[in-house]
Amino acid sequence: MEKLLDIDYLIKSYPHILKYLPVTIWISVASMVLGIAIGLATALIRLYKVPVLGPLSALYVSFVRGTPLLVQIYLVFYGIPKFIYYFQTQHGWMTGIDVNYVSPEVYVLLSFSFNLGAYLSETIRSAIESVDRGQFEAADAIGLSRTQTMLKIILPQALTVALPNLGNTFISTIKDTSLVFVIGVIDIMGEAKIIGARGLAYFEVFIAVSLIYWPVCIIIERVLVIVEKRIRKYERSAIS
Amino acid sequence: MIQLQQIHKYYGSQHVLKGIDLTVGKGEVVAILGPSGSGKSTLLRSINFLERATSGSITINGRTVDAASASKQDVLALRLSTGMVFQQYHLFKNLKVLQNVMLGLTDVKKLSPAKAKEISTVLLEKVGLKDRMNHYPSQLSGGQQQRVGIARALALNPEVLLFDEPTSSLDPELVDEVLSVIKQVASEGNTMIIVTHELGFAREVADRVVFMEDGIVVEEGTAEQMFTNPLKERTRQFLSKALRA
Ligand SMILES: Nc1ncnc2c1ncn2[C@@H]1O[C@H](COP(=O)(O)OP(=O)(O)O)[C@@H](O)[C@H]1O
Ligand SMILES: [Mg+2]
Repeated sequence: MEKLLDIDYLIKSYPHILKYLPVTIWISVASMVLGIAIGLATALIRLYKVPVLGPLSALYVSFVRGTPLLVQIYLVFYGIPKFIYYFQTQHGWMTGIDVNYVSPEVYVLLSFSFNLGAYLSETIRSAIESVDRGQFEAADAIGLSRTQTMLKIILPQALTVALPNLGNTFISTIKDTSLVFVIGVIDIMGEAKIIGARGLAYFEVFIAVSLIYWPVCIIIERVLVIVEKRIRKYERSAIS
Repeated sequence: MIQLQQIHKYYGSQHVLKGIDLTVGKGEVVAILGPSGSGKSTLLRSINFLERATSGSITINGRTVDAASASKQDVLALRLSTGMVFQQYHLFKNLKVLQNVMLGLTDVKKLSPAKAKEISTVLLEKVGLKDRMNHYPSQLSGGQQQRVGIARALALNPEVLLFDEPTSSLDPELVDEVLSVIKQVASEGNTMIIVTHELGFAREVADRVVFMEDGIVVEEGTAEQMFTNPLKERTRQFLSKALRA
């Protein structure tokens, strides 16, 4: 009788898939860092209603939120080489780049941080808006500059407010990286597909890959709870 | 000395300050009274440009700044020569008490942390909160938070202190500890402008009382004269009604 599950294959494939966990993690971490930078810049542009850039940012956020990540990955992967090629042939710009040798990881980073930047800009914007106006005024009153106020007073509080959201976004990102194989980056999902095809044991390898994503996400969640507790200490009231 | 000349403020078409003139001498304490909505906060906030007056000029310490054309440096100079105490305290919630007081010294005046800490500790001692300097604002009562607010305002050693209803957010039993700190600060020769609803306190602490309504100064005089024998009928009405409340 056909076995429901080839446990041996599952166990054998697990370490091979696990080897690619660093790829998954570094893509997630790097896109998150870039995404936060883009998100912060976009949030500030929108908060300060910068002319031209403000409406453009709104358009950017709307586009990203209104299209699937998978489509964005393809747009970047197929679109950017075309643009570069166009500029090279028409204007003689960027001639140092050979589009045939750009690693697909670069497109992954670009599309993921482009995507994250839009979502995080909304998170960061509402976190900044949640800090009461009065503290901006108190900062003005003692002569702090806008930048000082942001760095010393507002962003630290906004970060605390945004942290649970940032954490959830990070966990989603880890899971979303399972898409990167579509443009040829081998992460844990990509390796699972390769090994699954080799042994015609797809069910087994996808169980194996679940058993990597799941604990990783649980660990990150735990760590976030601890970090959040630490960082929120100033909100704890009435110890005196 | 601080001098306000012909301060006008419009919010859209609403004329909120209608040509206020006010002079406060060095070391003088002036209380501003008046019904709510009369423009007291707006006046106080236009002195340090939290609101920009539509027209008029502000002179502090010999520097005259025209509201309509003030430069960034003008605004900064005014902010450094004024200290403001807010009704809702507005302490920096992510900073401990000591850092709240030190911030202007280290980051605006660029004093060394050691020097800033020394000055701030003295001020916290003055407001009776030296033992709370490593607490966060959320760990303090309203009265304690407001005393930190006062220490923060004093830190830059301003020419004039501006108080906007400093006790109006406090539970009644916490009002006195704040008022007594303000009285002490007044007795040390600080120049102060205080918007308040505490008439007894105003009478006790103020050298001069200004009564405002509808964006104009209705009447001003010494505290004694204003409370015992105001000249204008409107002042009389306001005070008797407020005193009964
Ligand atoms: N930011 C603002 N925008 C529009 N109107 C305002 C603003 N601030 C105050 N006002 C109006 O200006 C008037 C004076 O307000 P305010 O100075 O706060 O009075 P007071 O402090 O004496 O109660 C009120 O009618 C108020 O509604
Ligand atoms: Mg007011």
